[in-house]
Amino acid sequence: MSNFKKTYFSLIFFTIFMFSFSYMLVPLYDIFCEITGLNGKTNQTKVIAVNENPVERFVTVKFTSTVANSAPFTFEPIDREMIVQVGKINNTFYTLTNNTKTIKHATASPSVVPHEDAEYFKKIECFCFSQQQINGLETKELPLQFIIDNELPNDTRTLILSYTMFNTTDQLGSN
Amino acid sequence: MRISNILLMVIFPTTALAEWETNMPRGVTPTSEVAYDLHMLIFYITVVIGILVFSAMLYSIIYHRKSLGHEPAKFHESTKVEIIWTVIPFIILVGMAIPATKALIMMEDTRDSEITVKVTGYQWMWQYEYLEDDVSFFSKIDNESNVARRLGSNVDVKKVKNYLRNVDNAVVLPTNTKVRILLTANDVIHAWWVPELGGKKDAIPGFVNELWVDIKEPGTYRGQCAELCGKDHGFMPIVVHAVSKPEYYKWVGIQKTNKVAKNK
Amino acid sequence: MSTNIDKLHDDHHHTPSGIMRWITTTNHKDIGSMYLWFSLIMFFVGGLMALVIRAELFQPGLQLVVPGFFNQMTTMHALVMIFGAVMPAFVGLANWQLPIMIGAPDMALPRLNNWSFWILPFAFTMMLSTLFFGSGGPAAGWTLYPPLSLQGGDSFPFTILSIHMLGLSSILGAINVIATILNMRAPGMTLMKMPIFVWTWLITAFLLIASMPVLAGAVTMLLTDKFFGTMFFTASGGGDPVMFQHIFWFFGHPEVYILILPAFGIVSTIIPAFSRKRLFGYDSMVYATASIALLSFIVWAHHMFTVGMPLAGEIFFMFTTMLIAIPTGVKVFNWVATMWKGSMTFETPMLFALAFIVLFTIGGFSGLMLAMVPADFQYHDTYFVVAHFHYVLVPGAVFAIMAAVYYWLPKWTGKMYNEGLGKLHFWLTTIFVNLTFFPMHFVGLAGMPRRIPDYAVQFADFNAIASVGAFGFGLSQLLFVYILFNTLKKDVTAEDKVWEGAEGLEWTLPSPPPYHSFEEAPKVD
Repeated sequence: MSNFKKTYFSLIFFTIFMFSFSYMLVPLYDIFCEITGLNGKTNQTKVIAVNENPVERFVTVKFTSTVANSAPFTFEPIDREMIVQVGKINNTFYTLTNNTKTIKHATASPSVVPHEDAEYFKKIECFCFSQQQINGLETKELPLQFIIDNELPNDTRTLILSYTMFNTTDQLGSN
Repeated sequence: MRISNILLMVIFPTTALAEWETNMPRGVTPTSEVAYDLHMLIFYITVVIGILVFSAMLYSIIYHRKSLGHEPAKFHESTKVEIIWTVIPFIILVGMAIPATKALIMMEDTRDSEITVKVTGYQWMWQYEYLEDDVSFFSKIDNESNVARRLGSNVDVKKVKNYLRNVDNAVVLPTNTKVRILLTANDVIHAWWVPELGGKKDAIPGFVNELWVDIKEPGTYRGQCAELCGKDHGFMPIVVHAVSKPEYYKWVGIQKTNKVAKNK
Repeated sequence: MSTNIDKLHDDHHHTPSGIMRWITTTNHKDIGSMYLWFSLIMFFVGGLMALVIRAELFQPGLQLVVPGFFNQMTTMHALVMIFGAVMPAFVGLANWQLPIMIGAPDMALPRLNNWSFWILPFAFTMMLSTLFFGSGGPAAGWTLYPPLSLQGGDSFPFTILSIHMLGLSSILGAINVIATILNMRAPGMTLMKMPIFVWTWLITAFLLIASMPVLAGAVTMLLTDKFFGTMFFTASGGGDPVMFQHIFWFFGHPEVYILILPAFGIVSTIIPAFSRKRLFGYDSMVYATASIALLSFIVWAHHMFTVGMPLAGEIFFMFTTMLIAIPTGVKVFNWVATMWKGSMTFETPMLFALAFIVLFTIGGFSGLMLAMVPADFQYHDTYFVVAHFHYVLVPGAVFAIMAAVYYWLPKWTGKMYNEGLGKLHFWLTTIFVNLTFFPMHFVGLAGMPRRIPDYAVQFADFNAIASVGAFGFGLSQLLFVYILFNTLKKDVTAEDKVWEGAEGLEWTLPSPPPYHSFEEAPKVD
């Protein structure tokens, strides 16, 4: 193969590789965060096996909520704040009200601060990312079961969990 | 009147009221002060480097010119010199990195905050929620500014008090208290920024960010949205009233009473 | 460009004349000229948009435009200047200069070269036409952050398509440049004997191929998020708006080095020529340029320090960004060492090159300040950033382009520009550029955010000065156009070696060079 052809093939390959690389960045973004522990995201998959191992340590967990894009919902935590024992399973819930008369679909996305402690906030049962169907003027209780991992750094005394509820009624793939 | 005066008044009619501020404020919080001090340190270092480099250039331009008969030298490389002017800047950078890293670690430490205020950015206003006290309200650009800023309003904006930096409901915070500011958004990315309080974080829909302030001096501090969020990005200001702790709790009490009254 | 070239032209194949010549040309000199003229036109289009911005910002209060249109102006001004003025100008210079600097007859792929150019007018016609849509042009900033950019109206898909076309043009051009430089150098011209401008373009071309496809990926993700139900950037679907910023700036940072490396090559050519002294530290300059290019891939998040990155990320990107100051500083020191004990004259190209060194360095200093994260929390999204990047782009990249045009125009056309007028253009431009952008440091530090059509009264004075400067700068560029046309009307009088201190193969050719030059490779010692 002539030198020219070699140059063209390698450069075209490089171009296509860099285009695919931009798509690879999507999963790489999450993998990188998991490996390095630099994570503002909580566990995406639910924790299946849970070992309760309560220790003599208590942290404050605050709960807050946001409704995105001024959607016609009322969405509030039932507990604004809990004193939580590290290593013990805890339960709470959020309430979601559909303020319209028609059926709606809603999906919540979680976020924890401090970001670097998010990985220790392990959700056993939660409603994150699962689309809720809610009838007109209905109020639903959305349960949350979680455990604070014993590995939580010693100097963290407060965690704040925030849910943002999106109106996903018109999204492709909604029932 | 001299022509120059008239010219100046015509070109800069705002001179009477405006300021010629050239630097960032040192501010009233530990975070704003540390940011300012770092800013000035780096600034002075770059000024010194600039003076050295530009003086060398100026000297050369004056004396090493053909019109003075200066013959060109033949040297064109020196590994020794390349090493020197790589290593010395590196050492200077290390010297800058150390205080910068210390400052950053301090600025990102939100632990042990006494109160938490959640800020939600909307197109185009802010919502504030005091988490511990369940107080919540919206804060929009005040009416006088909002009318004056319209195209063709014929209002002299220089006569509007705190034009574009005034709101209907200001944030009230206690002095000498570590306050955690949570940030999120309703629709698009915004950013909450009050220069005198230091720190700036984006308000991102679906996620929470945090920053902390500990205001040492009572006063009124003004800021603006600092992330393009649509057509009225320039018209969603922030006003923070910092008051003593007792005054703050009095204000909280009033908010709670009003809330109960509204819900009756 | 002139009919003299046609007279010297060998007619064993028929060259069309008139408009068909320009549409079908595969000649690097013709294509270089087209890129340069296109760039000049776009410079004025983007400049007009800047003047709309500065006219509105002349005084507090809204006098001229509604905020939505103002945002369209800031968005389009950036897109036009970056992709329509600066990049095509550098490609035009590459087209003209690379073959004649390395002793090659033309670029490696002459027909692809033609297509790479002609994509541009189509892409920009599409992009600029969106300003006339009912919902207006793109208004989310040239950085297109979602969710705001996803709120865009009818202009959105056209903007994305034109960006794809621009990216394709750049990538094809870069492939051409690399193939030419690696495979078509005259015998004896090893890589470390190449003119430094060729080196900087070789490295720039690699940056283009590495970064433009990533931009293509990012804007395609925006497109599918809006129209095809993907959720890359929406939290409800497990996505993240910040991820767009990571992908965009992974392209965006190398992009700004694409905008400056050829400028470094130009300055490294002009300073030695007018100092009558070889470039100091040629090897060092090559390694420094390569280091800057490599480092440019690991600094991207310094555009995003306020998104809520983990502390470790903030520290990492602070350190790498500071590091990139070192090879850049090395280049500045080498330029000064080149001048040192030289025998300098100060014709217009040299004036622009010297102003570049001073003013680009000032832009570099504000860049170093921006790297310091705690301070950046106060600078981010303010006019301090606007001041920084305009210093490195205007008295940086644009001055280098003007220097290059003054330097090589006599070679391309065989006609000498009027030196007195050139100097006048230089002084007016330099004074007004500083009047426009220096005050922006102050208002940024004093608390004025970016991308706002109206501001609080305490920012008024410096904004007024900046606006006056901007109009002065714009008017001064009309002088540049006059100088160009005035030159083209003259007779051919230039020597082969136009400048006493100029070195390189191009100065062995006549001025203007024949339509086809170096059809036989020259000997290089």
